[in-house]
Amino acid sequence: MEVAAGGIFGLLGPNGAGKSTTIRLIMGILEPDEGKVVLFGTAQGSRALSQRIGYLPEERGLYKKMKVLDHLIFLGETKGIGRADARRRAQAWLERLGLGAWALKKVEDLSKGMQQKVQFAGALLHEPELVILDEPFSGLDPVNAQVMKDIVVEIAASGRTVLFSTHVMEQAERMCDRIAIIARGETVVSGTLAQVKADFGGRHVALGFTHDKSRAEQIFADRSVVARIDDYGAAAELQMAEGADPEQLLAALVREGVGLRRFEVVEPSLHAIFIARVGADADAAAAHAGEAA
Amino acid sequence: MKKTIAVIRREFVERVRTRAFLISTLLLPVFIVLMAVLPGLMMSGSDHTSRVALVDASSIGLGQTVSQVMQAEKLGDKSDAPPRYSVQVFPATREQLPLVRDALIASTGFSKERQGDGWDGVLVLTDDTLASGRLTYYGSNVGAVQSMRKLQGTISNALASVRLGQSGVDQALVKRAMVPADLGTTKVSDGKLTGQSGEDSFLIAYFMGFILYVSILLYGQQTMTSVIEEKTSRIMEVLTSSLTPFQMLLGKVLGVGLAGLTQMAIWGGSVFLVSSQRAHLAGLFGMSADAVQNFPIPSMAPGLLAVFLLYFALGFLLYGALYAAIGAMCNTIQETQQYAIFVTVFIITGFFAVFSLIKDPTGSLGVTMSYIPFFAPFTMPVRWSLTSVPPLQLALSLGLMVVALLACVWLAARIYRTGILMYGKKPSWRELWRWVRA
Repeated sequence: MEVAAGGIFGLLGPNGAGKSTTIRLIMGILEPDEGKVVLFGTAQGSRALSQRIGYLPEERGLYKKMKVLDHLIFLGETKGIGRADARRRAQAWLERLGLGAWALKKVEDLSKGMQQKVQFAGALLHEPELVILDEPFSGLDPVNAQVMKDIVVEIAASGRTVLFSTHVMEQAERMCDRIAIIARGETVVSGTLAQVKADFGGRHVALGFTHDKSRAEQIFADRSVVARIDDYGAAAELQMAEGADPEQLLAALVREGVGLRRFEVVEPSLHAIFIARVGADADAAAAHAGEAA
Repeated sequence: MKKTIAVIRREFVERVRTRAFLISTLLLPVFIVLMAVLPGLMMSGSDHTSRVALVDASSIGLGQTVSQVMQAEKLGDKSDAPPRYSVQVFPATREQLPLVRDALIASTGFSKERQGDGWDGVLVLTDDTLASGRLTYYGSNVGAVQSMRKLQGTISNALASVRLGQSGVDQALVKRAMVPADLGTTKVSDGKLTGQSGEDSFLIAYFMGFILYVSILLYGQQTMTSVIEEKTSRIMEVLTSSLTPFQMLLGKVLGVGLAGLTQMAIWGGSVFLVSSQRAHLAGLFGMSADAVQNFPIPSMAPGLLAVFLLYFALGFLLYGALYAAIGAMCNTIQETQQYAIFVTVFIITGFFAVFSLIKDPTGSLGVTMSYIPFFAPFTMPVRWSLTSVPPLQLALSLGLMVVALLACVWLAARIYRTGILMYGKKPSWRELWRWVRA
């Protein structure tokens, strides 16, 4: 796996795939059993390079009894920034995140979302070239998630690199330039988003139903037409079988009298790719396990 | 280095800011002042002349002799000091005794404002007094232990001289014979006078042992607790990404240590202040100066202070590192007990060694223990204060201490490195050994 400089890199994977473990390996918190981590093309570990790296761990943690501003200053100092400078930057960040009024409150008085923002600011205080965020948006309300997203995009726009992990595919799809999907410790897919989609191939159709969806079930079950279906109830995403024609499908659906609100030939969504790849991998693994037995 | 200082500052500032720290820091000096003032208040000898009515029911004029001796007593050592007692003798027959006595008691024990000519006390002498030494004093100040001890001494002397006079001993000879011995003690160290009395040396030794015991136990445990807090609050992961385990360990132990030292300094300073201002304090509480003198606040010689501080620092770092390592190994305070008990046993052994050392400062037990780094912080300053320690022994003990400290910090850092990110079950001894070797 390689993360190029610049842009936003999404590290995707199901629960327990090893996203956090990968990030901890990068951060030098865990030692790899095999292989190695190279940062900025140097042989130095992340601790020596910590001034150039910002890290938001999955397990959020702050000193509960410390005042918010003091805490940020301390985090800045551990990254090697001077005290006065750290104070100035911390104040700027708190203003920006709408926490200015909370600067002198104790961390434990803040809500979980606010604490997360404080920690987010702590990871970015020293303007690192590489920002590593483990599940940055989990537990945030839409407004705060939006604020964080804007900041992440801004960092990438300034030519710096963001690596974040998530299992929310929609988010990754909208934000990432490059992605890697890992499952059970293996890289399943990696590359630029466009490339990943192109490689996945096949023609995909997005459907929206109004009524009589049940009449379509037989058509969807026909593996010569539909290779895979991802059913959401009132909507669905289909992968057409090899050689099948979307128009043929449309004709069949109309013939059966299925009420359609939407019928669109689309690029495969990251979600579909994820389900297909991680799911397929799961099937393969299960089959492999069966053989071994 | 800059990062370590940031950690030290954080540990120090956050600790000093807590309410618990403020309260405990301020309460002890208040306690010390009370300790200095209260016993003095309770047992204070009076600083004004007591008016004593002497009822003499003896047939041999015992009252005259006793009143002469009593009136010769002065308040203080100066020759122009006011007399301690003003005595008036009321002769009475055996039958009159209860009447006279009760009449006098009726005008006893009033404050000077209400009845200026009242009595402070009534002393009753009978024929029996000379033979058995038994007599009774009725007074308002019978709870003042010191005053009563003085009065008893004075009367004893008077009775002794009367008894000797009756046996035909010359009065002038009696007077010479009755001059009491007055023992002053001064400690000698390295062939030089230190100006400390024997009682002072003992107090200093005890005081140092106690301070060390309390502060290591208190602040050592705090180091341990704070490591566990960092683990449970999961801040450890952020810290390890920018700090080395050694920086974290060193910063923590030094930061907590400094907070402890600050508290000790405030306590020590207030003891010094109380002792140097005791005369002033006495005035403030309306007591005689010599009453406060009773509370002994020893002063420390600079050499002893240096030795004490040196061992205090080394001992604290040694135990602090061990406690931090234990904190790194465990996830909850309850879990730590299993390991912390070993450290606590060392500390308690060291502390109790102080008591046997005070009895026998030159014995082989003390010498041996001051070579064992875990006990040296307790035993060496005490030995230093009680006897003169050969410089070679001091150097050897300090050297061993430094070596042990480095070894402990190294060991603790190894355990810390692995332990701080280990959640879940606590390690077995074998796993621990693996962490150290890894």
